[in-house]
Amino acid sequence: MKFVIQRDLLMESIQHVMKAISSRVTIPILTGIKIEATPEGIKLTGSDSDVSIESFIPKEEDGIMNVEEITPGSVVVQSKYFPDIIRKLPLKTLEITTDEKFQVTITSGGSEFHLNGQDAMEYPQLPVMHTDNSFELKNDLLKELIRQTVFAVSTVETRPILTGVNMRIDDQHMHFVATDSHRLASRKIPLENDQSQLSFNNVVIPGKSLAELNKIIDDNEDEITISVTENQILFQTKHLYFLSRLLDGNYPETSRLIPEQSKTTVLTKTKELREAIDRASLLAKENRNNVVKLETKANDRLEISSNTPEVGQVTEEVTTDSINGEDLKISFSAKYMIDALKIIQEDYVKIDFTGAMRPFIIKPNENDQILQLILPVRTY
Amino acid sequence: MVNWQQISETQPVASKMLTQMIKQDRVAHAYLIQGDAGTNSREIAKLLTKSIVCRYTRDANPCQACADCHRIDSGNHPNMHWIEPDGLSIKTEQVATLKKEFTYAGVESNEKVYVISEADRMTTNAANRLLKFLEEPGEKTTAILLTENSYGILDTILSRTQVISLRPLSHMEIERVLIEEGMTADNARLFSIVTNDLTKARELDQDEWFAQARKLVVQLMSILRANQDEALLFIEKNWLDHFKDRDQLDRGLDLLLLWFKDIIYLHVENEDALVFKANQEDVNACLWHYSRQDATHILAQIMNAKRELLQNVHPTLVMEELTLQMQR
Repeated sequence: MKFVIQRDLLMESIQHVMKAISSRVTIPILTGIKIEATPEGIKLTGSDSDVSIESFIPKEEDGIMNVEEITPGSVVVQSKYFPDIIRKLPLKTLEITTDEKFQVTITSGGSEFHLNGQDAMEYPQLPVMHTDNSFELKNDLLKELIRQTVFAVSTVETRPILTGVNMRIDDQHMHFVATDSHRLASRKIPLENDQSQLSFNNVVIPGKSLAELNKIIDDNEDEITISVTENQILFQTKHLYFLSRLLDGNYPETSRLIPEQSKTTVLTKTKELREAIDRASLLAKENRNNVVKLETKANDRLEISSNTPEVGQVTEEVTTDSINGEDLKISFSAKYMIDALKIIQEDYVKIDFTGAMRPFIIKPNENDQILQLILPVRTY
Repeated sequence: MVNWQQISETQPVASKMLTQMIKQDRVAHAYLIQGDAGTNSREIAKLLTKSIVCRYTRDANPCQACADCHRIDSGNHPNMHWIEPDGLSIKTEQVATLKKEFTYAGVESNEKVYVISEADRMTTNAANRLLKFLEEPGEKTTAILLTENSYGILDTILSRTQVISLRPLSHMEIERVLIEEGMTADNARLFSIVTNDLTKARELDQDEWFAQARKLVVQLMSILRANQDEALLFIEKNWLDHFKDRDQLDRGLDLLLLWFKDIIYLHVENEDALVFKANQEDVNACLWHYSRQDATHILAQIMNAKRELLQNVHPTLVMEELTLQMQR
């Protein structure tokens, strides 16, 4: 393998793939960065086996030559030394060559490094993009999907499948669902017609991977291509491929959890309600569950209260736009409620209650795409 | 690289069981491979992993040439997880990472294998966490637990695994392994006969006490040949000083037993079977002194001495009596 490359470009790619590399891996080869040279360009890969990031440097872009004198080949180099070497090289361009014993030679100006590499055959084989099961989304929309669901994944390992976000495509909609069995967050978006023949059901993406992906992709309107294989999911932007392993197992059926009808419906300003609950939770913090109580009052008013005998008590009154249906007294976790309200950007929010012991639904008014469900807490 | 045919030379039963299961595609979800040190249980675990993961497995034997096989050998296969004791024991965190690993889909194919070597060194907590996960195995997940001591494994784990017992090595095999490891042929022969455990044989090779014991046996025999009268004195002064407790005395008697066996071997001109090869000349010198009948008689006496020691007869008396028998 041999190529000559712009140092800054290589450095940028290295920084991308380094995000996937962890020092605590069980497989020794994963401490390295895989470098692959093809006639089209250079591809770097970093992985901790859960998440893999590939960064591609095309040979030529917008008429500018990025990489020259390519002889195809591949090698794995130590990620502990390689980035620092590249960063500190004296010239703007550098040359990398390898021999058949996986010795890597890096030259730039007067400096010459010899690094011991490893056989790229030892590196895990990552799935490649299949066009027949892929679809496209806009970057900012994907980020929104992630942000609106990933907070609700379970953090405890008792039911590992719940640490992921379930991605489902049916009747021309894509659904993202996350739950930790106390609350549920879901978001759906309509898909364009030509993608409607796609159908996934049991795709569960680890919440950690999605949080990582959210950090990596830029907030713009570029297209991102998503492709699902048997074991992995691939997110592909222009030159960056992000792969995550899927979670193994069946995601529980969540649609049955959502109550069909409601007994009490509250329509109120999102921000006002959130702030009121936030204040009420100040004193509830001492309590283990961070529980606040919500009560409907006459004249479309809500009373939110919390009482911790050792600390004190708080009462908040919120004037709502409308309260329809039966009177209600309900207790729930303020943290879950705040989480749910935080991701709603609309000014008005609609809450559907079905009694004090039944889960309730929070939706932005006039928007069916977001649905949040919270289980109440039993108090005496 | 080993294949099942090679394994079947030393472990016919285990290899037959495993190959049958692979051929019939009925690999169990968990195995416990139990065998003494030197029974290459690690090789068997690797081979089994290869047979499961390799896509070109023919007749239970993996191809040994594809990328999968190579990476299993180098420990770089992402679908194989090998857990070794971290320090003295296998800790809960190690089992926890393993557990996390297996909630994910496989990196490449779906077949996932985890190997826990020295599984008896799992802490109780770690073992209990593993238990949950042995109970509800993933679809294509195989666990291979290795141990030298299946009594150190929790019963609850034992009952959830298929136990494959490896046959202990014979003297000849131990000797061969020891020579391969670079021990001299003489020492390898002696140690393989004194103990049938590879680790213990390796320990004996490093043991000052044992070297000295050997020297004493040679000295005692030369005294018995040259000036018999001093033999009792030697026993009193040197022998009992070195062989202190009952186990050590028993060891000493074992060595004497081997020596007289050697005398008989030389009488019947079976030199290959000789244990004290390095001291062949000394043994040879004894031939004039002890006839075959004498040697047989003394062997019986040594056995008797060993029995007496077990019956709590005073060690000095046992040794003195034996020495008198040997003085002739």
